[in-house]
Amino acid sequence: MPDLGTLVHAALDAADEDEQVEAYAEEARQTEVSALRSEIEGMTFAESRGLGVRVIREGRLGYAWAADPSEDEARETVWRARENAALSEPDEHNALPEPQTAEAMPEIFREQSVAVAADDKVRMAMELEAYTVSRDPRVSKVDLAQVGDAVSRVAIASTTGVDVEYARTDAWAVVVTLAVDGDETQTGFSYAITRGLDALTWEPVADEAVARAVKMLGAVKPPTARVAVALDPFAASSFLGVLAGALNAENVLKGRSLFADMVGRAVGSYAFTLVDDGRRLDGPGACPFDAEGVPSGRTELFTGGTLNGFLHDTYTARRAGGGQRSTGNAKRGGYRSTPGVGTSNFFVDPGTLSYDQLLAKAEGGVLIMEVSGVHSGANPISGEFSVGATGLRVDGGATGEPLREMTIASTLPEMLAGIAGIGSDLRFFSSVGTPSILIGEMTLAGV
Amino acid sequence: MLDRELVADVLIAARRKGGDFAEVFVEERSSTSIRLDDGRVEELTTGLDRGAGVRVAQGTSYGYAHSNKLDRDALLEAAAAASAALRGDAPGSVVDLTDRFGPGTNRASRGADTVAAADKVGWLREVDEVARGHSPEVTQVTGIYFDSLQRRLIAASDGRWVDEERPRIRLVAQVVAKRGDVIQTGWDGPAACAGVEFLDAHPPRVTAERAATRAVTMLDSIPAPAGEMAVVVANGCGGVLFHEAVGHPLEADAVDKEASVYRALVGERCASELIDGVDDATIPNGWGSYDFDDEGEPAQRTELFRAGVLQGFLQDRLRAAKMGVQPTANGRRESYAHPPIVRMTNTNILPGKEDPDQILRSTAHGIYVRGLGGGQVNPATGDFVFGVSEGYLIENGQVTTPVRGANLIGRAIEVMSSVDVIGSDFETWEGVCGKDGQGAPVGSGSPTLRISKITVGGTGA
Repeated sequence: MPDLGTLVHAALDAADEDEQVEAYAEEARQTEVSALRSEIEGMTFAESRGLGVRVIREGRLGYAWAADPSEDEARETVWRARENAALSEPDEHNALPEPQTAEAMPEIFREQSVAVAADDKVRMAMELEAYTVSRDPRVSKVDLAQVGDAVSRVAIASTTGVDVEYARTDAWAVVVTLAVDGDETQTGFSYAITRGLDALTWEPVADEAVARAVKMLGAVKPPTARVAVALDPFAASSFLGVLAGALNAENVLKGRSLFADMVGRAVGSYAFTLVDDGRRLDGPGACPFDAEGVPSGRTELFTGGTLNGFLHDTYTARRAGGGQRSTGNAKRGGYRSTPGVGTSNFFVDPGTLSYDQLLAKAEGGVLIMEVSGVHSGANPISGEFSVGATGLRVDGGATGEPLREMTIASTLPEMLAGIAGIGSDLRFFSSVGTPSILIGEMTLAGV
Repeated sequence: MLDRELVADVLIAARRKGGDFAEVFVEERSSTSIRLDDGRVEELTTGLDRGAGVRVAQGTSYGYAHSNKLDRDALLEAAAAASAALRGDAPGSVVDLTDRFGPGTNRASRGADTVAAADKVGWLREVDEVARGHSPEVTQVTGIYFDSLQRRLIAASDGRWVDEERPRIRLVAQVVAKRGDVIQTGWDGPAACAGVEFLDAHPPRVTAERAATRAVTMLDSIPAPAGEMAVVVANGCGGVLFHEAVGHPLEADAVDKEASVYRALVGERCASELIDGVDDATIPNGWGSYDFDDEGEPAQRTELFRAGVLQGFLQDRLRAAKMGVQPTANGRRESYAHPPIVRMTNTNILPGKEDPDQILRSTAHGIYVRGLGGGQVNPATGDFVFGVSEGYLIENGQVTTPVRGANLIGRAIEVMSSVDVIGSDFETWEGVCGKDGQGAPVGSGSPTLRISKITVGGTGA
C-alpha cells in the first residue's frame, strides 16, 4: 500500500504540461464506543483512505476522486478529472496556490492518544454511562454516552509546488441524558473535545448533561413578548454556522450574502469581535494548512462591531481582486469533495462579564440553553431567522422557571447590533466557539 | 462483488465469540455531480467508492468495523475488530449463503450512465436560463445535478445473500431574488430512485420555474406574525411535519431507550382520527424506496396510524428481536462506513376527502404554508420545529400577503391531535434526513391539512 506522499506524487506524474494538477490524499482511523444500560451499545472502528484530484486546464476545473486507490488508479483519477474539466466552463480565477511555508504545529498530534487501547475506550464509555446515571435520581438513563477518537493524516501536492503533509489526533466525549419526573421527560446535552482520550476529563461532561436536563423539568410555554435574551455558549454557537455562511467570500461574490455591501460599516455592537484563527491551539479546528495547502492564519472578520472582510480561499481571493489574498480558509468535507471556503477555529472574542453579571443584565428576560431547527429556520442569504428554543426565565438575577415550545426570531444584523454584553466564558464546540451573549431584545413567540 | 466463500469465511471469523448474528455489507458506488452557479458550469465531479463493513450483534449491542479495502486480509481484520465488542467465547455458526431476490421496484429504464455528461450539463443550462428568464429580479441561480448507482451486497450468518442495485437521481434549483435591500431565496429539488427517465416527468424547466417563482414571490413578503394561530399546510408539506414530529419518535431505537413520547402509546389514539399514516419503502421509484433494507430485510409498507390510533413502530433487526416483533425493514445506512440504524423511507399521511380550496375558505385567519426548509425534533420530549420557506397570511378565508421568517413549533402529540380537516390532494416532497451523523434519502407526502392551533414564531404583529 503506497503511503500518502507516494500516492499524491504518483498522481502528479500523470499531469500534462499545459495544466495544473493538485492531489489531496487523506487517511483516518476512528473508533467510537457508546454504552447503554451498563453494556456496550455500539463499538465502531472506521478506517478510510482516499484521493481527490483537481485539474485546471485553460481555466476549466475538473474533479475526480477514488477510495483507496493504487498508484495506477491515482493516475487514472487524474485522467477522469481532466475529462471532467473539458465539460466545465473556463473561469480565469481558477488557479492553484503557490507554495508558502508555515510553522509546523506538532501539538495537534498527540502521540499518547494513538496508544490508547480499545479496551480502555470501552472501559471509559462504560464508566461515563455509569457515572452519568448515578448523579441525580431523576436521571437514570441516557440517550447517548459515547467516547471516540481519531487519528488522521493528510498529504497535498500540486504542480505549482505545494507539497505538505500533517497528522492530527482528536478525541471526544458526548452525553445526552434523559431526566424523568412523572410523565415528563427532558433531555440534556454536553460535549468535550481534546487531542486524545488520555487527556480527556469526562466527569464534567456527565455532570453538565445531567444538570441541563434536570433544569428543564417542569418547563412551560411562555407568552409571546419582546424580551432580553441571553444565549449560553451552547445556544450562541448554533448561530455561528449561519454567520460563517454569510461571511464566506464565495457567497458574497455570488450575491448570496446580506453582508456583501457592508464592509467598513458598524454592523454589530461595539462589544462584538469575530475571529477565525486556524493557528489557535486550544481550538479543535487548529491546522497548519488549509485544504489546498495554504498556511492557516488569523482573520478578524468583525472588530468592535465593524465588518472588516470575508473568509477566502485561493479562488475567491483571485476573483475578489484588489490584492486580496487567501485567508487560508479552503476546507473540504473529505477527499470526495472539492475545496470550498470554510472555517477553522471560528469564534466570538470573549468579553469581561461574568455569568452572574450577564444574567443580572437579562433581568426579566430569558436565558436560552438550546436552539433547534437552525438549518431550516435561519437563512444566511437574507439574514432572517426564526428558531425553536428552550431555556430558563431570568428572575432576581438568577435562572428560574424552565421554558419550552417557544421560538426566537430576528435578523442577523439586528441581533449583532443588539448585543448588549459578552461573557468571559468562551467555549469551543467542534470548530466554532463562543462565550455567553446578551441580546438587548428579541421577539419570543409562545402562547 | 465478492466471492461467496470469502464472505462465508469473514462471517465465520466475525462469529468467533458467538453473538446473535454476523453480517457483511459490501458496497460499490459510482456517482456524478455537476454544479452550475453564477451562470457557469463550475464543477463536474465523478467518484468511485467501494468498501465493506462487518457487524456482529448480541442483543442490542453491536461491534462494527469497516474498510475501503476489499481484500481477504482487510475483511478478516474488520471481522476481528467488530467481534472484539462481544464478551462470549463460544463461536457461532454460519448457514449456507443463499440468494434472496426482490421485486425490482426501483429499476432505471434509462440508466444515468447511458447519458452523455454534456446532456446533463444541458439540463443545468436550461435551469439557469428559465430561472433568469422568469424575472429581472432573479439575481443568482444555482443548479445541481446528481446521479449515483449503488450496488450493494448484504450477507449474514443466517444465510441471507442480497445483491441489489439502486439508481438515484436528483436535480436541484436554488434561486436568489433581490429588490432593493430585500433578498429572498427559492428552492426546488425533485428526486427519485430511478434513471434519467425521471426527468421526463419532472423537467428541469419546471423545477427552475418553481424555485424562481418562490424567490420572487417572497420579495413581497412581510415579517411573519408571532403567536398561536390556525395553520393550513399545503399538500406535500404536511409529510415533512409528519416525518419530523411523529416519524422520528416512532423509530424503535428511540423507543428502546425510552427516549420517545410514543413509547407506551401503541393501540392508543394519539393523533386526530382523520390521520392515517404509513411508512412505505415499496413505492416504485420513490426517493426513499428499496427492495431490501440495508440489513437485507424485504421492504414493506408499515402502518403507523389508523384513524389516529398508533399501530406500531419502525424496526430494525436488533430492536425487533428485543421487542419480539417482526422487523419492518427500516434498518438503513448511509454507506459501508456506517452501521445500520432505524430510519424512515417514504413517510406519508394518506389523503382524506375535503376539497383543499374549501379548507382555505373555511379558515378565517392564520398562515398558509406552501414551502418548508426542513425541521428538527427532540424525540424524547416530542418538541419539534420546522422552518417555513414559503408562507402566506390567510385573511377571511383568502390567501393574501406572503410572510417571511416563520417557523412552526409544537409538541408532536398535541399538534397531530389538533388536525381538524384533511384534503383529497396528495403530493410528495423529497429530502435528505440527518440522524446520528448519517444522511439518508427520504420521501414524505401528504394532502392539504389544517392544524387548528399551533405556535408560529415570527417577528411581526
